Amino acid sequence: MSKAETGASRGLATCHLCYKLAPADLHRCPRCGTALHLRKNDSIQRTLALLFTACLLYIPANMYPIMYTDQLGSETASTILGGVVLLIDLDSIPVAAVIFMFSVMVPSGKLMAIFYLVWTAERHSRLNPRQRSIMYRITEFVGKWSMVDVFVVSILVTLVHLNGLLVIRPGVAALSFAGVVIMTMLAAESFDPRLIWDNMEDTDNDG
Amino acid sequence: MNDDIACPGCDLIVNVSALQQGQSASCPRCGHFLTRMRNGAFDRIIAFAVAGLVFLALSLAYPFLSFSSSGFESVMTLPQTPGTLWGYGMPEIALVVSAFIIVIPAVVLVMILSLCVPLRQRRHTSLLAPLARGIFTLQTWAMVEVFIIGVIVALTKIAALATVVVGFSFWAYALFAVCFIVSVANLDRYQCWQLIEALGVKS
Repeated sequence: MSKAETGASRGLATCHLCYKLAPADLHRCPRCGTALHLRKNDSIQRTLALLFTACLLYIPANMYPIMYTDQLGSETASTILGGVVLLIDLDSIPVAAVIFMFSVMVPSGKLMAIFYLVWTAERHSRLNPRQRSIMYRITEFVGKWSMVDVFVVSILVTLVHLNGLLVIRPGVAALSFAGVVIMTMLAAESFDPRLIWDNMEDTDNDG
Repeated sequence: MNDDIACPGCDLIVNVSALQQGQSASCPRCGHFLTRMRNGAFDRIIAFAVAGLVFLALSLAYPFLSFSSSGFESVMTLPQTPGTLWGYGMPEIALVVSAFIIVIPAVVLVMILSLCVPLRQRRHTSLLAPLARGIFTLQTWAMVEVFIIGVIVALTKIAALATVVVGFSFWAYALFAVCFIVSVANLDRYQCWQLIEALGVKS
């Protein structure tokens, strides 16, 4: 197998902001001035730190209510999963599916996907790099879609405040859940997908 | 000029000098999108950015949704959202939500305009690089399309409790979201920076 020519093998670093190829020892991109690194700094450690933060926030995000509904003096608290159940009861199956996907499947799937990517990169795995690249791009793409539930709460809270009759208030889970989404987005951003491919070249270097 | 790109997804060196108008390049090894050559992209970017800002201004000024139950009515406008959340003791959510749906998208569009108008005229200014840096840093954090889905879900949730009417602002915001996405999608990172660099060398 012929060795793939990479930026690193030429001693060139790509600016992550403007894609300029420049000598790695410059430290600053000559075109846009962003800090220049051959690979993102401490990618694995930063990604793991952000992931653990996200995991911790994920617990209150699911245990505590994301919003309260006060209807004629009686209060109902609903969690993220409770919201999905409510939508199913209202026969809004498509919307229930959307919320289940963005608020339950995407955040947990994303946590697992980034853990898997970090784990395989750390073990210098040579397993299906192209598939792992695609996995990384999906993780990056779906990141912000989990904010849907936070936006839903924001709209309902602003819209529904008929004092004494019907009031919707936000719950702490909205805050922790927004935290989960932001932390996982930052984690995806701090992971360097080039680490997936670096292992493929290590072994080619022998010759 | 040197037309080598090291793929941001896998660091493979790819030469894009053979790229013709209207063609796009992806990394042959990992499939990461690299760049698209498109003439006249600046016209489209500018047009959609201006339209987007107009629609955003309209969406802030009129009722977004209104809601009535047992003879009582309440109307919401978009700028009320952060204030209400703040009032419930959630300033963090108020700031994050208004940043993601209004402030960041608006700032990005204004920066796109101030970047693309000079670029279209092939005019160099010292602000080009800082503007492009700002745009490419902030654009991940604009969530206009996510907010639209959020509104639709919210409507479904309260439709059972009361009558909800979609206001003029909602449609203005939806059009703003479309304009924002088209404008940002037409701004090619690699081509844009190549042009900024070329203009800088010339002047």
